[in-house]
Order: sequence, then C-alpha cells, then structure tokens
Amino acid sequence: MIEIKNLTKSFGTVRAVDEISLSVPTGAFLVLLGPSGCGKTTLLRMLAGLDNPTTGQIIYDGKTVSDGERNWSVDPGKRNSGLVFQSYALWPHMTVRGNIDWPLKVAGMSQSERHRRVDEVMSLLAISKLEARYPNEISGGQQQRVAIARTIAPRPSILLFDEPLSNLDAKLRVEMRAELMRLHRAIGATAVYVTHDQIEAMTMATHVAVLNEGRVEQFGTPAELIENPASTFVAGFVGTPPANLLPISSGNEIRVSGKTFKVKVRSSSGRQAMYRPEAIAVAEQESERSLTMDILEVSPLAGRVMITATDGTVRLTAVVNEVKGLRVADRVHMLLPAVPECVFDADGRRVQ
Amino acid sequence: MLGQGTLLKTVVMLLLGVLIVAPLLSTVLLTLAPESLGAWRDVLASKLSLNLFYGPLINTMTIGSVTAVGCVLLGGFLAWLVTMTNVPFRRTISLAATLPFMIPSFATALAWTSLFRNERVGGQVGFLFGLGLPVPDWLSWGMIPTIVTLTLHYFSLAFTIIAASLATVNSDLVEAAQLAGARMSKILVGIILPVVTPALVAAGSLCFAGAVSNFATPALLGLPVRMQTLSTRLFGMIEVGQTARGYVIGILLVLVSAALLWFGNRLVAGRRSYATITGKGGRAKRFDLGAARMPIFVLACFILMLATVVPVVVLIASSFAPSSSELFSNWTTHYWSGQSNSAIAQGTPGIIHNEDILSALTITGSLGLLVAFFGLAIGLLAAYTAARYRTSWVSGAITQITNLPLLVPGIAFGAAYITFLGAPIGPFPALYGTFALLVIAGTAYLLPFSVQTGRAVIQQVSGELEESARITGASFLRRMFAIILPLSLRGMVAGGLLIFVKIIRDLSLVVLLFTPTMPVMSVLAYRYASEGFGQFANAITVVLLFVSIAATLLAERLQSKSQPWLKG
Repeated sequence: MIEIKNLTKSFGTVRAVDEISLSVPTGAFLVLLGPSGCGKTTLLRMLAGLDNPTTGQIIYDGKTVSDGERNWSVDPGKRNSGLVFQSYALWPHMTVRGNIDWPLKVAGMSQSERHRRVDEVMSLLAISKLEARYPNEISGGQQQRVAIARTIAPRPSILLFDEPLSNLDAKLRVEMRAELMRLHRAIGATAVYVTHDQIEAMTMATHVAVLNEGRVEQFGTPAELIENPASTFVAGFVGTPPANLLPISSGNEIRVSGKTFKVKVRSSSGRQAMYRPEAIAVAEQESERSLTMDILEVSPLAGRVMITATDGTVRLTAVVNEVKGLRVADRVHMLLPAVPECVFDADGRRVQ
Repeated sequence: MLGQGTLLKTVVMLLLGVLIVAPLLSTVLLTLAPESLGAWRDVLASKLSLNLFYGPLINTMTIGSVTAVGCVLLGGFLAWLVTMTNVPFRRTISLAATLPFMIPSFATALAWTSLFRNERVGGQVGFLFGLGLPVPDWLSWGMIPTIVTLTLHYFSLAFTIIAASLATVNSDLVEAAQLAGARMSKILVGIILPVVTPALVAAGSLCFAGAVSNFATPALLGLPVRMQTLSTRLFGMIEVGQTARGYVIGILLVLVSAALLWFGNRLVAGRRSYATITGKGGRAKRFDLGAARMPIFVLACFILMLATVVPVVVLIASSFAPSSSELFSNWTTHYWSGQSNSAIAQGTPGIIHNEDILSALTITGSLGLLVAFFGLAIGLLAAYTAARYRTSWVSGAITQITNLPLLVPGIAFGAAYITFLGAPIGPFPALYGTFALLVIAGTAYLLPFSVQTGRAVIQQVSGELEESARITGASFLRRMFAIILPLSLRGMVAGGLLIFVKIIRDLSLVVLLFTPTMPVMSVLAYRYASEGFGQFANAITVVLLFVSIAATLLAERLQSKSQPWLKG
C-alpha cells in the first residue's frame, strides 16, 4: 500500500510536483502518465527516496518514509523499494551476474543465498546464459532484463520504473510490456511506473494518475479515464485514437466550417464538446449536421479505418468501417452525432 | 597519371617519414654502427654502467612512480571534489587546478630554489635560509624537491583526465548503488573507482611519462648535487661529446617510457567497456561533505595556492630582489630595465637592455609562430588524409607515426635531430645552430598535438558538408578555402595558440639544439639559473609564464566559442 499526502516538490519558484495526494493498495500497478515536464519523474524520485519532498508525506504500508515538513526521508536503500532506471544504470565494470549480485552483497546476504537468488531471477528473466557477459556485450533488450533482474533480486515490496521501455524498439517494447505484467503478477509487489505513452498506461495499469504541470489531472482505472475523462487534457491524451474536442460558442452553438448548429447542454458554462471517433460517421452527401473537410490521413486500424480530416482550423478523427476509395486530400463530410459525449467548461473541467 | 588520392597520401607519408621516422631511425642506426657498438656495452655492462645508466635509471623510476602516484592522488582528489561533491567555489577550484599546466615546468623548480636553496653549492641562498631557518639538504636539493615540484606541475594533467572521466559517470549508476543501500564509502570503492579506473591508469602513465622525460626540474634541483636522471645524463653525455653513449641512453629512455605506456594500456584493455548508456543526467545529486565541507575546501585552496600563486609570487618577487634570501626587501627594477652595471651580476644588463634576451625573445616568438603555422598545416593535411581514406593502410600508418613523438622524451628527440640534420645530407647543408633546425624539430615534436587539432577541426566540418561541396565539382583547394577553413577558423586559431604555447615554454627539446647564436628564452632562463643569475632566469620565466597563461586562456575562450552557429 502506497499513500501520498499533499506532496510538493519545488525547484526555486517552480513547483515540479504540486500538492499531489493519492493512494493505491498493495499489489496495484500504478502508472504515472503525462507529457514530458509534468513532474512524473520527480514524483518517482521522491518515492525512491532519491529526492526529499518540499512538503507532504509518503507512506509505505502505514510507515512514513518521507516527510517534507521535517525534510526527512528514509535512506533510499532502506525503504524496501527498487528502481529500474530509464538508462538501466548497469555498472559497466561488473558482469551480468555481478550487477545482480552486488546489491545482495551490500545487503549482507550469505554467499549461498545470494547465489540462489541470482540464479532464480536470471532464470525468471531468461538471461541465465548471459551471466558472464559485461553490459556492453549484450543488446539493449537484454540490458533491460538485467536491470529488472537486479532490481527484483532483493525482493522489494515496491517496484519503481522510470520509462523503462523508452529505449527499446517497437516490437521489443510490446514483448517487454507483457513480460513486465507477468513479473508483476508473479512477484506481487506494488509497482509504480512512469511513462508518457498512454498505450502502455492503458494496457498495464490497475490505476492511472494522469499528471499535468505537477498536478493530478485525474486518478482512476484505465476504463474510467476513457469512459469519463475529468478534463479536456485527459480526453485529448488517452484513448487510441484520443477523443475529438470542438469549441462551443455562446448560445450553446458549434460553429465550424461555416456551419452553425445547436448543442444540447444542460449547463450554460460549457465551452468544449467531446465526440468519440467511433461516434462520428463519414457521409457522401452534405447534410445539416455534416462538416465539409479535407482528408489528412487514412489508416487501417484492426479491421476498421481511421480517418483524420481538417477544415484548416479544427481536426476531427473518425473510426469507420469502410472508406470506399477515399484518399488523402479528398473532400469528405464528417457527420457529428446530435448529443456530444460530454462537455467541458472554460477551465477544461467536465460539466456534463 | 597519378590520382589525387595517391598524390595526397604520398605527400603526407613523405612528410611524416622525413620529420619523424628518419631522425629516430638514424639515431638507432648510429648506435648500431660498428664504431659505436661499444657504447651499448659501456652503458649496459661495464664498470661505468652503474654511474652511466643504472643509477640514473633508479632515480628516474623513483621520481616517475612517486610523481605519478602523487599526481593521481592529488588530481583525483580535486577532480572528485569539483565533479561529485558540494564543495564551495567548484569553478574556481577547477580553473586553478588547470593553471599549473599552463606555466613552464621549470617555473616551479626556479621558485623552489628561490625559497629553499641552502648554502651547500654556494651562490645565492633562498628566502627561508635567508630568514635564518636551517634548510636541510634533502629539502633543498635532489629527490624530494624534484618529486614535489614535478607533482605540483603534472597533477593538473591528472586532474583534467580524471575530472573528464568522473563527469561522464552517469549519476544513475551512483543512485542505483544508493538504492541498493550502499554507503558513500562503499559507492566510491565499489562503483566510482572501478568505473574511472581507465582514466586513473591513463592519468598515472601520462604523469609518469612526463616526469621521467622532464629535463628542467631534475637539472635545476638535482644536477648541482650530482643527482642524475636518464634525461640529465643524456644531456651531459651530448654536452661532453660522448654522443654514442648519449644516444644509447636516449634509446633506453624511450623504451622505458614506451614500456610503461604500453603496460598501462594493457592493464585497462579487455572486454569491459566503460562507456555507459546516457540517461537523463544533469540532475546529479552531489555528495554532501557535511561538517567537513569547509575544512576540505581550505585544504584544496592550500594545495592550489602552493601550486599556482606561491610560485608566481616568488618568481615575480625574486625578479625584483637583489638577493633571493631577502625576497621582499630592497626591490630594484635593475633586472628588468637596468643598464649594465659591473657591480651587479657581473655587468649583465636588465632584460629590456640585454641583447641576448631581446634576440631570444624575437627568435622564440618567431619559432612559436612558425611551428604553430607548419604544425597546423601538416596536422590538417594528415588528419584530412587519414579521415578521407579511412579504410586505407595509410590512415592507420598516419595515426601510428604521428603518435610516435609522444613516446620520445623531448631531450631524446632533440638528440635525434642533431644526428639527423646536424651534418650535411647530400646537397643539403648541415642545419646545426640554424633557426631552420629549431623550426623543423619543433614542428615534428609537436605533430601528435597538431594532428589531434587537425582531427578535431576535420570532425567539426562533418563529412557531409564537404561531400556536398565535392558533388558541386569544387576542387580540393577550393573546398579547403571555401568550406573547411571558414567553418573551422576559430578552432584552428585556438589549436595554433596552444601549439605556440607548447613550443615557447619548452625546454627539453631545444636545450640540445641551442647555440649562442640562436638563443631561445627557455634555454636562456635555464643557463642563467645554472650560472647563479637567478633574477634574470626568474624574470624571463615570468614573461614566458604570462604569455603562456594569456595564450592558453585565449585559446580556451576561442574553443568554447568555436561553433557559434550550434548555439542558435
């Protein structure tokens, strides 16, 4: 169980992490999702104990491990947590076995126990054959596995990952994603995983915290984020492809491509309407609710087709069953449903 | 007809052959001639050997190894302070730690004499003895002063190498060890030291090579009490005309340096690579020195004062003081601007009226400029050829040959040039005692450095820029002047300045090529010092020192700004 209470980290006048509070149960897989510079790595480093919070507390299993008010933290090595670095941080002068073994040696384990543990994690990650190699003699994917093995060998109850897959190629990334989920189930540790890739977040997480400018934009399960985005930021960030947002003018009207039509909204504060790609249709004929646009991209997507079109000011993405020979730069009529999925106010907060 | 590539390769190989291979080879051949073979026996296995070779060898090795260890400890300590801890004024410490290498190595030795010289060999005594302190011989002369002054000079080199290496240690590596629960001492011993081992070994072997081939320091501090090293022995042999024995000692000195550098390389070569995958970096947390922060800072300042400020102050003071026993009283400008006065220094006039010194100044300046010019030209040509024909054997040969002078101590290189160009070759006259000999030998000696500069310049002008010019059909010279030169001018001027500094403050190469008709500043300073005219030696050294520091700082400024277009 991890609890974060009012956690803030300031660098000078900049608040990299701003009053974050959340908690996840033991065994959860928490993903911190956000664009670069949103404070997710800063938060992770505080969880690891590498940086002290400016204010607020971090509590592991009921025990406070970092306290900003007292400017105090339990030493990184004594928090029962392990961190997999983005760079892997393998010690270049030690072999694969040496890298995994060293933290156990520091922990003062006996020779035989260490040997058993190292063998165990190496076989768990299928790197036993590499034990005598040096880090520069193995591939990036293998280095990644060694870094993970080194982190899990001391059996921490909390596993921290800092964008661990970002240095891998696309195919390897998908494989390692599954591998990490398998490991997480096998070990049962609570995991905190930092990424800017929303697909990773949606596939791996039990809990997602979407961060923006140091604050939690929304905290929930992947399904909740997709179903009920709390803000335009979340709506535009998650989902494949993400949802469409159209501006609402005064009088609850949408004016796009020379068309004006009423939106049914209960609140008068609505400023943006969200439409899901799968709710937008592509029509051959112009009609009252259609927007005339030029196609920017056509790409197949799991048996369906994703079309992105623009009128020069707004972009709309639709996912449809077939396109009948439409190509880039063709003119199409995008048909919006009568009721938007949801509506956000001027601050981007959801109002309906 | 020859292709352009063949022509270029031939010209470069010919130049390198004449400048580097021929003098070294002719020296070796000379010692193998039937009438000189006896010299090998004299040096290695005769009644004289202990005196000629083994004694100096033991001294040389002792000086070299103690200096190397001292430099790595001192340089490593300061490098660790500025790169990994929260010691205050890190930038200042860093600059001060590189200063000693900008000043001539004999400056510190001269300053030492002005302070610690006792009455043992007669002549002027030093400041401390003048104060009435009993300065023992071991502090005044020989091994200890030599080692201390060499360490205070070469630790800069170790600092630069180790600091550069420590700066590349990814902070993630240290944090990963912290997460494993390791304490600071354990991280230092278990992670940081092993990762920078190659740099430590490289720094140690370069300091060793520098110390064993250094001539000025043991000559000034050791020779008066008959402490010989291989380089002073070589100098002595050539001076008294026993050239064959001298060359044999020179060859052995080269072998000693080469063996050590090779051994150092072997030690760190192998499967392990120390290059790390770069992470985010830039947020490295510094070790908190805690309560030790100020004491450690004071200690670092004290060491750096000893290596930089103290020698400079002592040299300046002593160039004004009539006697080095009273450095700070009765100051006179005589040694700078006085007319000849038979009551002072046997009538030697102050340096601005001293014709010897003035002509040495002109000669040294022209030597610096010409060596910088020719060095850059050849360096650029060689680097270009090596880069352009990367797959050819010529490329490898260029690298190997141009690095050769690194293994040859300056004094042995000078000796080789006397054999090579001291006597007429075919239609060419003997060059001994001419300005041309100084220029040629200086250019050849600094080629490793010039080619390195050339290589940096060539790399700066990426292959594609030049290739796109080639596609337009521009000729080699046209490309050189229209593309390569404009893009690399600042870098080249900076490189040229550093070559200039290296040659004007050099003593060991020119000390054997020196003739009274062709004086250079560093040798004059050495002569004055050994003849007891310390003030003149110190005044000349002060001039060299300020020119060196100014030129080096200017070069660094140019280098850091050499690619303004990259900064946007």
